[in-house]
Amino acid sequence: MPAVQLFATCLGDLAFADAVADAETLLREAGFDVEFPAGQVCCGQPAFNAGHRGAARRVARTFERAFSRATPIVAPSGSCVTMAAHYLPELLGCEPFDVWELSAFLDAHGAEVPRRNEGRRVAYHDSCHMLRELRIADAPRRLLERSGATLVPLPRADLCCGFGGTFSVRLPEVSLAMADDKLAGAAGAEAEALVTADPGCLIHLRGRAERTGARPLPVHLATALARGIA
Amino acid sequence: MTELAQPPERFRVIARGAIGNEHMQSALDLATARLRGNRLAAWDALPEIEELRQRGHDARMRVIRDVDAYIEQFRTAVEARGAHVHFARTADAASSYVADVCRRHGARLAVKSKSMASEEIGLNAALETAGVRAVETDLGEYILQLAGEHPVHIVAPAIEKTKEEVAELFSRVEGRPVEPELGALTQAARRLLRQEFLDADVGITGANFAVAETGTVVLVTNEGNGRLVSSLPRVHVALLGMERLVANLGDLAVLLRLLARSATGQRLTTYTTLLSGPRRAGEEDGPDELHVVILDNGRSNLLGGRYEEMLACIRCGACLNVCPVYRKAGGGAYGPVYSGPMGAVLLPLLVGLDRAPALPHASSLCGACTEACPVKIPLHELLLELRRDLVERKVASPFERAAFTAWSFLWSRPLGYRLTTALARLAQPAAGLVGPGRRWASGRALPRLGRRFRDR
Repeated sequence: MPAVQLFATCLGDLAFADAVADAETLLREAGFDVEFPAGQVCCGQPAFNAGHRGAARRVARTFERAFSRATPIVAPSGSCVTMAAHYLPELLGCEPFDVWELSAFLDAHGAEVPRRNEGRRVAYHDSCHMLRELRIADAPRRLLERSGATLVPLPRADLCCGFGGTFSVRLPEVSLAMADDKLAGAAGAEAEALVTADPGCLIHLRGRAERTGARPLPVHLATALARGIA
Repeated sequence: MTELAQPPERFRVIARGAIGNEHMQSALDLATARLRGNRLAAWDALPEIEELRQRGHDARMRVIRDVDAYIEQFRTAVEARGAHVHFARTADAASSYVADVCRRHGARLAVKSKSMASEEIGLNAALETAGVRAVETDLGEYILQLAGEHPVHIVAPAIEKTKEEVAELFSRVEGRPVEPELGALTQAARRLLRQEFLDADVGITGANFAVAETGTVVLVTNEGNGRLVSSLPRVHVALLGMERLVANLGDLAVLLRLLARSATGQRLTTYTTLLSGPRRAGEEDGPDELHVVILDNGRSNLLGGRYEEMLACIRCGACLNVCPVYRKAGGGAYGPVYSGPMGAVLLPLLVGLDRAPALPHASSLCGACTEACPVKIPLHELLLELRRDLVERKVASPFERAAFTAWSFLWSRPLGYRLTTALARLAQPAAGLVGPGRRWASGRALPRLGRRFRDR
């Protein structure tokens, strides 16, 4: 059985353990042997995006040490994959990693997903890193459609949801206003779930929806695919 | 001189006001969406757009990498046609030169077409001190001058004003009611401005480009005011940033194809004016004197460095129109002149990072700006570089630097990660009480840290 290395990401490990478990399930069901390198910590992005290169390098080395180059690395996070794929080689002065965002990996390997979302209306939120850095827009949508969901378009899908790492606490009012627009767009589209493939977007959008009572609730793509939207 | 420095908390304060203003939010949303849609349609209609963007980038970088030589070439060419060229190192030097020109001609009234460089140097205030009344003739700039406000968008300066607000301003000046309807507003502006054009002693314009090979100043406008300003008064002063130069007419053609399409979605603006020197013997139109003021004001600091590409900016505003932060915060948050992603990059470079420390962080780094830039400036990557400089030059707070350093040592080993996250889990109830956690929790539920995935 071909193997993959699962990178949980720090946010996934700490705040979205269920979504990471769902990612693991999807990879298994797609026929992969899932390894979890125990030395993994974080890709260093929080510090990198805030300008702290030295701190970012120190943390990013854990990624370099933890993951083997012999097996593909898969993470349920467009943002962390962007960091590992686009920035780490330069930051650490190392060879590129064979690192994949979960939906792109599943789609590229023709994975079957269970039809758990038959007839459900789902809106997909593109994370900026996935859309503009990794250029992954179709794979998550295709997988959702294969799960039986009907995709409803979000208005101004190009707009960022307002997370942006430290941006979310440096300019909280702007960040929240951006989240409100995104959540209102999903409500206006009469979606039953707002699905995203990025724990960053999710922690922000979900936290906002929980606070304001906005619906539909944001859900991680791995969860939507493995267990169906709630 | 316009104060370009931006105290740390200013962005947040102004943005908060903008977000609370429903009219402004809807004006920002509508205007940026329309301009963005126009650009995308115009780009879609050009199959060679990607190649054109690269050619635009190359044309700009050609000049920037050898700018002194191009300035000299331009100077020689335009002086041979009878114009005067003045290189101004600072904002004050540029303003003083323009004021001197006015004084020499006994000018009382100057009409201006839109120029961001003149906003940057605070020219109107300097002229006022010299006893010269400066009247803005670009419709948006005219509205803002009446309102006593600064532009909030580099292409559509009054983007946040509703037609009702404009009607109120015009009614006040005309002394009779003006209907809040576009036709009536335009007619009112026409009536108000026509006499100013005829009476003016000096006309002041910016320049979208200046062609080194031919000594040509290029103006791109839609309202025709640029032509009146540069041809009716006896004296014409054109003020341009030193990076506005292009090598030759071929490069100009490439950039003109990109500029209007990216700014408003037009193939070309209504008027593209190429000015090569003052009126010559036998010619009917044009000024007796042409002065070209080339402005440095911090631009040369960028030459040869990591931020050099920022000088390629053609001021189309495309990055503002796609920016989700600009769309919420509005232009005023960035300062009185440049706004949006281009402003967030340019201002700290012109005035120094320590004088605009919040701007590199006024972005979620979504990258929409980079994608929209017609001359391929990697705007969000430059913001990331500026953040790095904030840290490395110790502009970022010692607390922030210490926090990231401590975090990085703790998370440089799985054991440190395990310990800190176990503690964080215990400390969850207090997470929303202080620092970033408090700012997070001001409008969002904190995440619930349960059992880690790795411990399952």
